[in-house]
Amino acid sequence: MNIKTLEQIIKNKSSKVEFAIVTNLKNGESQVYEPGQKLSGDFDKFQKEVENFFKSKKNGIIENSDIFVETYIRPIKVIIIGAVHIAQYLVDFAKSLNFEISIIDPRGYFATSQRFPDLKIVNKWPVEAFKEIETNENTALIALTHDPKIDDPALQHALNKKFYYIGALGSKKTHENRCQRLKESGFTSEQINLIHGPIGIKLGGKSAPEIALSIIAQLVSETYKK
Amino acid sequence: MRNSFDEKILDEALDWIKTNQKVVLATVIQTWGSSPRQVGSRMIVNENGDFSGSVSGGCVETAVVRECIDLIKENKACKKIEFKVSNESAWEVGLACGGEIAVYLEQVN
Repeated sequence: MNIKTLEQIIKNKSSKVEFAIVTNLKNGESQVYEPGQKLSGDFDKFQKEVENFFKSKKNGIIENSDIFVETYIRPIKVIIIGAVHIAQYLVDFAKSLNFEISIIDPRGYFATSQRFPDLKIVNKWPVEAFKEIETNENTALIALTHDPKIDDPALQHALNKKFYYIGALGSKKTHENRCQRLKESGFTSEQINLIHGPIGIKLGGKSAPEIALSIIAQLVSETYKK
Repeated sequence: MRNSFDEKILDEALDWIKTNQKVVLATVIQTWGSSPRQVGSRMIVNENGDFSGSVSGGCVETAVVRECIDLIKENKACKKIEFKVSNESAWEVGLACGGEIAVYLEQVN
């Protein structure tokens, strides 16, 4: 691989551009493919196959050839509501699992860069914050404040936008009350049942890193179900 | 849906190159049977045999490191190596999983 190709790969990754690396296994030449782009040189006759690999987000060798295709997809976006202690551990797990985390917390004393170095924290109320964060059906929400003022508007946004994973921290009682409030706001039981509450898989732990682990385990599991 | 679960190996490769190390990328390009790492899994190796990442569950990494050092010494651009259960070198390094993998080595230049 040429160092220029490697530099372009790193650049695309950091600017969250989806792409594929196309390598001729015979001579080691490689090219970066981006959607809509024409491949050049020896690669041009594999344009269609490369596009198919890219669309199906697969890695592999094109049949009856020496061309290897490796696709890079954008990391899944995970929005955390509440810059609380559990969130600090979630950020650690998310780093190795390559989730892209954004934290929303209107409370300035929680949302400090000292508590969350190298991370963008949106220090606004959820309704305002979601105006600057692009979300879709491939986004996940983890609500951790268990304060209805902060969590509820975020949960409503996630339900409306059909996030693939929505989890909310709180006891069974807290969750029942939350469901009741959402019902009163006009959400159907079917929608409300999509919320994982109490959040996380049953691990038995009660400490902040243990709860974070149970949440991230559920998130990974739901990612593969979709 | 799948996440990219990118291990930032290529970022690390670039960091190594910036400190004047020679780097070989080793990538899993094909698998058969119960191989532990999926296609696209990668490790990097420098001329001293330092490595990062993985192409198996620790079964063939030693052999891959050796092959990468040879590639640098012989100044070759690329090489494909296969590890099979029936393959002697696989027995030697112990491909315990019973799977088969093809690993592609390429120098960054």
